[in-house]
Parts: sequence; structure tokens; C-alpha cells
Amino acid sequence: MTVAFVFLAGMTLVSALGVVLSRSVVHSALFMSGSFLGISGYFVMLNAPALAAFQVLIYVGAVTVVILFGIMFTQKPQVRRYRTIINRQFWAGLLVAVGIGAFLAYVLSAEDWGGTEAGNGPREVGAFGRDLLGVSQGAEIFTLLYEVASVLLLVAVVAAIVVSRRKIGGGVDRGVRE
Amino acid sequence: MQTVLNLLEVEPIRLLISFGAVLFLVLNLAAVLTMAERKVSGYIQLRYGPNRVGPRGLLQPAADVFKLFTKENVSPGRSDLWVFLGAPIAMFIPAALVWLVVPFAPEAVVADLNVAILFFVAITSIGALGVVMAGYGSRSAFSLLGALRGAAQMISYEVPLILSLLGVVMLTGSLSLVDVVQAQGDTIWTWYFLPQLPMFITFYIAGLAEVKRVPFDLPEGESEIVGGYMIEYSGMTWALIQAAEFASMAVISAVTVTLFVGGWQPPLPFLDLGPFNWVWFGLKTALIMFTFQWIRWSVPRLRMDQLMDLGWKILVPVTLIWLFVTAGAMLVF
Repeated sequence: MTVAFVFLAGMTLVSALGVVLSRSVVHSALFMSGSFLGISGYFVMLNAPALAAFQVLIYVGAVTVVILFGIMFTQKPQVRRYRTIINRQFWAGLLVAVGIGAFLAYVLSAEDWGGTEAGNGPREVGAFGRDLLGVSQGAEIFTLLYEVASVLLLVAVVAAIVVSRRKIGGGVDRGVRE
Repeated sequence: MQTVLNLLEVEPIRLLISFGAVLFLVLNLAAVLTMAERKVSGYIQLRYGPNRVGPRGLLQPAADVFKLFTKENVSPGRSDLWVFLGAPIAMFIPAALVWLVVPFAPEAVVADLNVAILFFVAITSIGALGVVMAGYGSRSAFSLLGALRGAAQMISYEVPLILSLLGVVMLTGSLSLVDVVQAQGDTIWTWYFLPQLPMFITFYIAGLAEVKRVPFDLPEGESEIVGGYMIEYSGMTWALIQAAEFASMAVISAVTVTLFVGGWQPPLPFLDLGPFNWVWFGLKTALIMFTFQWIRWSVPRLRMDQLMDLGWKILVPVTLIWLFVTAGAMLVF
């Protein structure tokens, strides 16, 4: 177990560093998929295979691919120099990073983890689904969150249709004035 | 013999042996399927196909593999080398991994996950990443075009692919592939391809598009972009891409059989072969793979807009409607 954890932690951290430090945007996106895969490995170790599958499906299979797609459509992937990466926002970025790090460290040390152990995840997918839909006796906050997420996705779908809709009678815009 | 069978009960040994068996299967599938592809195309076009190496050309795969191993591995001068070489691996590993959850017979499954269907969907979705890597890494206009087409196609057809699985999940009430097969029973008219016929057809078409075979082979499109994202590959890297394509084709067939055509179940109760029921699974999978090859030599390639129209305007509504029909039927009966 420890070996697996060290391997996953190393994979996640090295990939995360790669995202920040690599000189090409495409490489950053690819490193990001490695980092996401590492995180899905943590879910497996926490006995939550459903969450691991969702992590791979949504983050590796969809988010990274769409990001790569966007990069290739919008700009010519090119190698930048390090001076453009470490730019004049260096100090502000450092401040934010240290702040978030300190906050997380405080929260993690303040919480009492004594009664928690690996394997608390929703192993049974059925129970997981019932919790989300509010059919079980669990906390009902999950139902609210689920509904909020659905509304958000619906808005996104409608917005995508509105943005990409062809105007009625307008024909195809080929970018040429007639 | 008995001691060997007893070894299969011990956990790490069982996992290692079954993992090795699956790896052996996947690596050999590619060679055998290349051979089958050429033979089938030969017979469909009224010619012999390969018939020089071995009896009736049956040793052709061995000669092919030997040739590919001895070929030089050329990479373009301006290529992004790590991405270029990583792409075939990123394509092959997902295609091989899905085999871990496919049940060959009642006990013969490497990992009987309770989220096996979710695992299948998740791992298949990584395949697009390999295609994009190949297209970008080669630094060639044709490759990039092929990769963009491939990624667009694979993302679009994932939606009907996932939606068409949901009917089966609703009927079974489980995400485990073993449960799905057991729920279908051992008679041909209780298998899910009859009550779920629209879903079965949708899954078949979406699967065909997901593995980029004719009529959905726009990412390759040899008449316009001369091979697409695999244009710059040669030798073993090219062989690995081919192996990945054939392995994913086989895995889509196997999952189709598992979900809709009864997996290892015999078509009629008296045909039950007991411990040899995996023969049924193999026969059905081979039949589905044969139809894939049959379609390849019979149907012309779609255009990009026809491809998108078919996916979004026909397949997705059909699955949504049949989802409601299934839910209604389950409520009434």
C-alpha cells in the first residue's frame, strides 16, 4: 500500500510540476492528464472505484482532450522561453500559492483525523446514487448540490446552442462579403 | 492438472496468470485480426487474399510481425519526440486495459468490478488522448488534421455510446458485466438485444465510430489526408498503433456481446457446454468482428457533416427516447 501511495504521489507531483514548468502549452496539458490519473489512483486506494472512474472519464477523457483541442485550433503550439513563463506576476503568484498552502496546512492539521481510515468512500455505487437523489436517509444537502449541478449543466448546454446557432435565413457565413 | 487448477484459487497467482493470459490474447489478436481482415477483404472482392506463407497463407501474421520488428523506426526531424513515441503507448494501454473487466466465462474474469461498465466507458475515453498526441507529436499538417477529426469524432460518439448502455443498466440494476450476462438467461429471446434493439443498433454504430472503422474512418481518410494521425509512424510504433486499433475493435465487439448478446450464455438451454461456455463468447465476438469487416468492404466513408448529423441528430435522440420507453415499460410491468 505504501509503495503504491508513494508511486501515485510521485506521479501526481511530478506531473503537476511538469504542468507549471514545461515550456510548451501542449506539454502542460499532457502532464495535466498524468496528474489527473494519479488522483484517480488515490480514489482507488480509498475504496471508491466509481469516483476513480468518473475522475478518468471526466478529467482525463474529456477536459484534457477538449483543452488540447482548443489549443490546436486557436494557436500554433510553440515553445516559449522560460522568461515568458516566470513573468512579472511572479511575486503575486508566489503570495497566492503560499497563502493557499498555509490555509490548507492549517485546515489539515486542525481537523481530527483519528477516527478516519482508508475505505470510507462510497464503495457501493447504488448507495452513492441514492445519496445523491435524496432517497436514502443520508444528509439532504447532496440532493441540493446535485440539482444545482444539473441546472448549471442545462444552462451551459442552452448557452452553447445559443452561441453556435446559425441565424435563420442567414446561410453559412464564409467570411466573404457579397 | 488439479494442482494447477488449485493454484488459480490463490489470489496473487490468479491475478498474475489471468493478466498474462489477457496480455497474450491482446497481443495475438492484432496479428490474427490483420490476417482475418485481409482474407475477408479478399473473399469479398472475389480474390484469394494472402496465400503464400504457410498453408493457405495462414502463417502470414508471423511473417508480418517479423518484418515489422526488423524495420527501422523513423521519426520526423522536427517531431516532438517524447509525445511522438508516447502516443502509440497511450493508444495501446487503454485498449488492453478494458479486457480486464470482460467476462469470458462465469469465473473467468480478471477483475469482477462492481463498476465494470463505468470502467469500460472511462478507459475508452482515454483513447482520444493518444490520437491527439500522435497528431501533435508528428508536427505534420496531415497528422494534425487527422487528429482533430479523430478527437472530434471520438468525443461526439462517446455520448450515444454511454447513453445506449443505460437501458441495459436499468434492466439489470447493476454496473457489473458479470451480473449483466447472468441477468440475460440462457435462451436467445431473453437476451437484451431484442427488448433493447434501438440501443443495440446505436451501441453498434457508436462503437464502430469509436474505433474509427469504415464508414467512420475520417481520421485516416487515405484519399484526402493519406493516413491521418499515423502517417509519420513506421516499424514497431506503427505496428503498436495498428495493434491498438485491432484490440479496441475486438474489445468493442466483446463488450457488445457481453451487454446485448448474452456473453457466455448458450443460445438454447440444451446447448450448454458447462466449463466450455467461453466457446459461445468467442463465437459471438468473432461474429460481431466479422460484421465489422463486412461493413468495411461494403459501405463508403461518411462526410464530416454527415458524421456529426448522424451522431447528434439521430443516435442521441433515439437513445433518449428509448430510455424513456424502457423506464415506462419497467414502471408498468
